[in-house]
Formats: sequence, structure tokens, C-alpha cells
Amino acid sequence: MSTEKGHPRRGICLYSYHNLLGKTMTLEDAFLEMYDTGATCFEFLTSYIPNYPNPTPEWVDKYWRLCEKYNLQPSELGHWAENHLHRGPGMTDDEVVEELKQDFRLANLLGFKALRTKITCVNELCDPEPGWQNYIEKALPYAEKYNVRMQNEVHLPTTLHTPHIRDEYLDFIHRTKTEHFGFNIDFGTFQYRAAKGGREMDFSDVTKPEEIVDFLPYSWVCHAKFNYVNENFEEETIPYPEVIQYMIDNGWSGDLLSECECPIRFHAEESPEKFAQAMVEIPEQVRRHQIMLRNILGY
Amino acid sequence: MVEFQPIQQRGFHNTYDENGEIDGFEFRFVPKYYKGYWFTQCRFGNVVVDGEVFDRDDIIFEYDGLEYTREEMFDLKKYWQFRTPLIYKIKKKGGLSVGYHDVSLQFGWVLNYNGALEAEPDGSGLGNMAHMFDTDHERRMLLCR
Repeated sequence: MSTEKGHPRRGICLYSYHNLLGKTMTLEDAFLEMYDTGATCFEFLTSYIPNYPNPTPEWVDKYWRLCEKYNLQPSELGHWAENHLHRGPGMTDDEVVEELKQDFRLANLLGFKALRTKITCVNELCDPEPGWQNYIEKALPYAEKYNVRMQNEVHLPTTLHTPHIRDEYLDFIHRTKTEHFGFNIDFGTFQYRAAKGGREMDFSDVTKPEEIVDFLPYSWVCHAKFNYVNENFEEETIPYPEVIQYMIDNGWSGDLLSECECPIRFHAEESPEKFAQAMVEIPEQVRRHQIMLRNILGY
Repeated sequence: MVEFQPIQQRGFHNTYDENGEIDGFEFRFVPKYYKGYWFTQCRFGNVVVDGEVFDRDDIIFEYDGLEYTREEMFDLKKYWQFRTPLIYKIKKKGGLSVGYHDVSLQFGWVLNYNGALEAEPDGSGLGNMAHMFDTDHERRMLLCR
């Protein structure tokens, strides 16, 4: 890792607005929201591509016009390496690779160089289903062809010291020497206490901030997960300043993408009052989080 | 744009046969989940209206102008676009009365997230995400015609 200080970009996951998208917020509304925050890049999901997996040329033109109008660069495309799309036994490796290739092409078309690639898990700790290496390795030449990097998300309750992270994923990277597979480290993995109104769970064994250093060479985009940012622009459940300091000191210049996991997200559809609360709270929380990142990064 | 509730009131009305007689009713459903699905991943349950159960295998689902049964959905390699309504068409002689009705349904799905693989890969259950997300939806809706 470089000894020069890193200079991460600030961005936003469109996921943050998903309760509102298509209900009270258009795609252009979301771009305007992101522009307002000073973010310069964004994560999209394949699901937000109209007529996925075959967007019309007109929509692709519109998408690029929005990027240009609001000065936002594509960062990461979230997609799924699904291998149980049909009843009965799982798909063959070649069938999964065909699905992956389809998303690689789309990412390339829409300017994304990173992918959040969700590999099938078999439990809450996200231990991968055995055999994942087969289809991911077969997909690597296509990832290279389309200039995209698959990133497996390290998501709470998974930690950076959960055995499969080193024993399987890191081992795969070292064995294949690939530059097209790595980690999206979701900041929820550093969460050390429950958020107000959020889910109670065991926080006795979480990722320590310093653990991120070993993984930075294999990470290009991270989900800057947050639960609640207070009016002083602090996230009270995740040690943001410490984690980001390790990233900067170790020369990391990837993308930090705000990802809102505010508790209201899980209740927005329950009543008109809660949806109205979500309409106000979610965009405001993303704005607060961007100010928090700006305060930490200094830009 | 769709309504914020998964079961949509917009589109809730009785349906008519070729003789102009009421032969059932229909409504629309939009999952609240943050992403779309391949229809092959979807697991549809029964619909209940005012306590009357309509079996999932008697429901006709209309998407993008075409009609499918639940069984046909398992082989439908088509993407259920995000925030796009699926029309539920249900046969009931005489339809529903004008006024309020309690409509509920069950909907689940299969996804490769944070959990065990689908316990019932024959599609008899509600998928493997029920442990994380509620599969039950209900809404009181006003029918006018």
C-alpha cells in the first residue's frame, strides 16, 4: 500500500432512497438529491435499470444525460451471482457465468468499473455456498474483458476475521492473482452497538478499525453504512473517524458510498405517518452523512 | 409512480365477462423490497378477502399484458421490474360488493442473501427470505365498481 495519503471520493448508494423511488421520487429527483450533497459518484443496482437486463438505448442516453447534468460519476453496480434462480437443483457454473457476463456488459455500458457481487450464502454469517470459486474463476476473463472488478460485500454480522474471509475469499485472490475480485467492506461490520430504534443483536465480536488495513489493496469501493447521524453530524454506532483515518493513512483512494440503513426504512410502508416520516428523514439523513464524511475527509 | 403500500388500491375493481356480468375482481401488488426479482424466484401465497380464501393456484397473474398461473411463473425467465405492479385476477361470481374490503396476501421469494438455502426447492413454501422479511401483506381498500 502507498505511503502517500489516500484521497477517497464521496458518493451515495441509490439504495438509500429505495423506499421513495418510484413512489415520491423519480430517478432524476435522486440525482438532484445526490448533487445537493456534494457527492461525486454513486452506486446503482441492476434492479434500477428499467427493462433490466435489456435497457433501451433511449434510457441509456437519459442515464448519461443525468450523470452529465448533475456531475456524478458511476462508481459501483450492485448485482447478484444467483445460482438458484429455478426450482430444484442449482444452476451449472456455465449458467451462472452467463448471468454474470450479462451484468458485466451492462456495467461496462453504464460506466461502472466496480461491482458489488453477491455470492450465494448458506447462513446469516454469509458463509458462501461451496463451489462458488468455480463460477467466479470462470467469470474472471470476462470481468477483465469488460474492465469490471467484482467485490464481495463484507456485511454485518460478518467481520473481517470471520474465517471464510481469509480462508476462502482472500485465498482465492492470492491463488488466482486476480485484480478482478475483492471486497466491498460495508461499514456496518464496525458497528459496536445497536442504533436507536434499530435491531438488537450481539455486538461483542465486531471488526476493529485497524483490521481494515490488510484488505485495502483488494477494495475499491466501500459501503459507508450508517444507521443514524445526529445533528452534530456524528454516527454514534460506527467509529467512522478511526476507520477512515486508517484508510487515508494507508493510501486508499477508493469510493466511500453513503448507504442509509435508518430504522425507519424497515417501517416506512406501515402507515401514512411512517411513510411521511421516511420521506423527510431519509434524504435528510443522507445529507447529514455526507456532511459527516466531508468533515472527516476535509473536502 | 405507485402508492406506498404494497397492495395498491389504484386498480382495485370488479371484472366483467363477455356478457357484461361481474365474474370476479382484480387488484395490483408491488413488493416493498428494495430490488426487483426474476419471476422464477417469486413464491406466491393465497389471497384472503374478508376472510374468504382464494387459493394461489386459482389466481391469474397479469404482467406486461400477459397472463400466467403460479405454476407457469416458475419457468418464466422474465424480470419483475422494480416498482412495477403485478395484477392479481380472481374469479368470484358476482364479484365484491361496493364498499370496504380487507384484502391480504402472502408473498415470499428466493434470494442468495444471509440465510440458509430454500428449504422447499419445489416451490411449495414462501422462499428463503421469510426469516428476514415479513411475507404477510394486508390493506383495507374501498371498492367503487
